[in-house]
Amino acid sequence: MGFYRTVTWPWPLSGDEQEAVYLSLRVAARAVGFGLPLAMIVALLLARGRFPGRFLLNALVHLPLMLPPVVTGWLLLLVFGVEGPVGAWLAARFGVHLAFTESGAALACGVMIFPLMVRAIRLSVEAVDPRLEQAARTLGAHWVDRFLTITLPLAGPGVLAAVVMGYTASLGEFGAVITFAANIPGQTQTLPLAIFSALETQGGEAVAGRLALVSVFLAVGGLVLAEFLSPRRLK
Amino acid sequence: MIFRVFFACLLLLPFGARAADTITVFAAASLTNAMQDIATLWMAGGHPKVVFSFESSGTLAQQIAHGAPANVFVSADEKWMDDLAKRHALLAASRSDLVGNSLVVVEPKQGLKPVKLGAGSNLLAVLGPDGRLAVGDPAHVPAGIYARQALQKMGLWEVASARLAPADSVRAALRLVELGEAPAGIVYGTDVKVTPSLGIAGIFPPDTHDPIRYPVAVLKAHNTAAARDFVAFLHTQPAQDVFLHWGFTAP
Repeated sequence: MGFYRTVTWPWPLSGDEQEAVYLSLRVAARAVGFGLPLAMIVALLLARGRFPGRFLLNALVHLPLMLPPVVTGWLLLLVFGVEGPVGAWLAARFGVHLAFTESGAALACGVMIFPLMVRAIRLSVEAVDPRLEQAARTLGAHWVDRFLTITLPLAGPGVLAAVVMGYTASLGEFGAVITFAANIPGQTQTLPLAIFSALETQGGEAVAGRLALVSVFLAVGGLVLAEFLSPRRLK
Repeated sequence: MIFRVFFACLLLLPFGARAADTITVFAAASLTNAMQDIATLWMAGGHPKVVFSFESSGTLAQQIAHGAPANVFVSADEKWMDDLAKRHALLAASRSDLVGNSLVVVEPKQGLKPVKLGAGSNLLAVLGPDGRLAVGDPAHVPAGIYARQALQKMGLWEVASARLAPADSVRAALRLVELGEAPAGIVYGTDVKVTPSLGIAGIFPPDTHDPIRYPVAVLKAHNTAAARDFVAFLHTQPAQDVFLHWGFTAP
């Protein structure tokens, strides 16, 4: 019962708590920002393309959804860590370190939310009548033109859903982040990690409760924003 | 519209730069409260900021081995420190033993039955007919390994091993007792200190298990003057007083 007395309205947040919130928002924004263009390309390929290896691409994209997140994090560590093939190359060539950095947290989130974004976009692309694109093609429209003026606007709700789902899932991502990026306050300690650490600390329930409330606000905020920006409202 | 909002957000991203002299300390979870108090003392003296990552020592050692940017590592046992030493990750001269800890039997404060540890121990009687003894998993949790050593030394292992409730970490074992799922458990003295509803029913004599020591070292890859100063500070009297306050012993 003592717990309920310790939870208070989460403002003002302490400096460390604010840091965790801003860090989570930055990480989620980067995960969605860098993941979205790639997710659109992959979704288009899967929805419209007929090519060898399509099944393989589909399976690869869905892998993070099916694997335990800690395995995804570990695989990322094996590939992008200092000893991993890609990680060693990035470090030697560009001096870029991904493991245990904020960029690494964003990468881990991006990989985890990628299948969610691809699925959302793919479904709405598949719902676009291909005859509209064919008509545009007979009228001589370049494929970039067709994509920007027909497919993308019609698939808009799916893209929006992808952004919202990716953003909220990013804010909640735990296993892959703690495995690949560790739990360093101010660098890789996102909201769920900060809540986890607070729960491990004796007397940390109050902090955990406040941060949990903040997570709820951020998630609901994302949904409200999505509703506000939805195509129906824009008309 | 969505995209304009979105790209505006992307442009606003500051790329997390940190002050160069911030000290990142990876420390065993059992040190959480004491280390936080010491960092407060340290920073009050105008010294660089300290950030902590508290996990089980094994997790932290693995992260460091994979290149995590820690300046200082404090382990709950020598084994993981040895592991990093073998990988040449430590600044060898900086390694030292920071504090020690005791191994105790914990019970709820209410109705606490003292446990005699030694010849003719009543440890099993305290568990009742079907209660279990909460411990860290003796397969890999350091606190559980010490518990097994102590029970073996006292000749109780044969009987007690069938009555254990092995937990994932020493804190999880503590929680089993706190929630009343187990009538007693074997944990560190410091764990009991931070849990008001629990009390110490008996302390294992130090000669029943390996010494419980917490080694500290600066990591070679992130060896800064501030990190070395902080490790030196951990050995000063004010810092050691904080450790004593939280129930740690001299190494």
